[in-house]
Amino acid sequence: MSMISVSLEKRLGDFSLEAHWTSAANIVALVGPSGSGKTLTLQCIAGLTKPAAGRIVSGGRVLFDSAAHVDLRPQSRHIGYVFQGYALFPHMTVSQNVAYGLKTGSRERLSARAREIIDRLGLTALCGRYPNELSGGQQQRVALARALATDPDLLLLDEPLSALDAPLRRELRAELVQALRDCGKPAVFVTHDLAEAYQLADVVVLYENGRTTDATPKDELLWNPSSERVARLIGARNILTGTVAEIGQQSVVLEWRGQRLEAARSPSRPLNVQIGDALAFFVRPEYVRLIRKDRPLADLQRHVNCLQGDVVGDRDEGTTLTLFFRLAAPGTPSQGTYDLEIEVPKLVYERLGVARDRQWQVSIHPGTIQPLPGVGGRESEVDLFSDSRFPTPDSQ
Amino acid sequence: MVDLFPLSLSLRVASVATTLTVLTGVPIAWLLAKRRFPGRDLVSALVLTPLVLPPTVLGYYLLLLIARRGPIGGFLGAFGIELAFTWRAAVLAATVGSIALLIKTAQAGFESIDQRLEQAARTLGHSEWSVFWTVSVPLAWRSILAGTILAFCRALGDFGITLMVAGDIPGLTQTLPLAIYDHVQANELQQAHVLALLSVGLVIALMLAIGRYARLKY
Repeated sequence: MSMISVSLEKRLGDFSLEAHWTSAANIVALVGPSGSGKTLTLQCIAGLTKPAAGRIVSGGRVLFDSAAHVDLRPQSRHIGYVFQGYALFPHMTVSQNVAYGLKTGSRERLSARAREIIDRLGLTALCGRYPNELSGGQQQRVALARALATDPDLLLLDEPLSALDAPLRRELRAELVQALRDCGKPAVFVTHDLAEAYQLADVVVLYENGRTTDATPKDELLWNPSSERVARLIGARNILTGTVAEIGQQSVVLEWRGQRLEAARSPSRPLNVQIGDALAFFVRPEYVRLIRKDRPLADLQRHVNCLQGDVVGDRDEGTTLTLFFRLAAPGTPSQGTYDLEIEVPKLVYERLGVARDRQWQVSIHPGTIQPLPGVGGRESEVDLFSDSRFPTPDSQ
Repeated sequence: MVDLFPLSLSLRVASVATTLTVLTGVPIAWLLAKRRFPGRDLVSALVLTPLVLPPTVLGYYLLLLIARRGPIGGFLGAFGIELAFTWRAAVLAATVGSIALLIKTAQAGFESIDQRLEQAARTLGHSEWSVFWTVSVPLAWRSILAGTILAFCRALGDFGITLMVAGDIPGLTQTLPLAIYDHVQANELQQAHVLALLSVGLVIALMLAIGRYARLKY
């Protein structure tokens, strides 16, 4: 069973890490800003650093348990580790690097296994080269080959793509996904890029300043974040607060800036609110629609959550533009000088002539207004981070 | 007409001393570079003291240890091995005087290795011993070589400690630096001149070798 369960505490000077997550998924991504404890977690899993307390279990094997005084040496953990910067041995060739972990077997079998993995990752032509003669992408493949050669039970990757420039990164992302799926081994990798995590992983653990969320399936994280805090961590924009005006079976009506917004209720997440409660929600900028002015009035009936206002600024991001939209309604705008961020493709921007014509009606589909439970500061910091109690390893 | 025995004695003494230095100094250097242990700061400070203490102080304490009545001298004396005022004492003196140079240089070499390389080696199943030989030493060998050559030069040139523990017995423990001193005292300046020039030539050649093949890091 490819389950990995991590529960650990570690202190380094002023920084204190408390990581608790568990997952049966194949690929887990640890995402968060630099210095939030992701690499430290990997080091603890690999046995290169010892946590102050905790329990780490992988694939049914207890790697570390402070209560039971279990602490396997890194040599015995059967873990493949791809380091940030690859850590290839500069004084060994590609084949020597890849074969470094292979000690058992005869000389012939050693080379066969090494050759097999070198071929599988397309490194055959580079066998005799030294790491300083390889490009970044080639080095990454050698590091992966070296980690996979020993047939580990678990693969750990620390920012596998961050040392590469953007176009190469995109290309290698696809390669890495394929390689991970091909080898079929459970993997945990670290990245500060949520988009990369989304592409490579099945579940995501968010890290912030030494604290973690549960392992959340990536779609749920992106489309249905569990709290305002998590929404901010994933970079959601338009995080707003409204008041509950009506509660229905399928939807809830919020009052915001004098407007009534209908938000669809998530079937999977309960909403424990009463009329009059404050409730945070967020609106994806790309789902706020500018209503075309050349359409006949009758069409307007189709639009729900119509808001009137002006575009007070825009930001050109190459293929899309972010518009800063301020409601015509009186009162202070929710986000400083504007109420909503709207994202439009450049084509739409030009076709609608937004550069000249700044007065618009917009519509937001109820399904894209996402309530965020846990507002009001009533819950503790930890609860704000996740609305489900993390299962302890013992309860599995 | 200049007696070259001191030169050959010094070369032999320095060679044995440097071998001892490398065998004991490299592990100490690795420990200081890689491990945090209680008393590490003390060990680190102790390693530096032979570089700055007066040679006669070092010689004095060494003599206390290796004299026939001393702990080490007495122990070895029971096996018939004499230390004080023999060439063996000259070797000890040269080792004590030069080991710090090797340790500090080798330590800097080990410290300059990216610790992720050694971590990678561990995750790939290699024991600490194997990591040392297959990763640490190959990557630090230039620093170790530089330290060795430095230590050798220093061993060649030891004066004060050697004088205290080995004496200045012509034909037995009169090393090159001691011989030069004796010639000058006896106003035999031409002999002194020759031996001094040989010393300088040897050391310059060795320093050039460091520059070419080894790497000095501090």
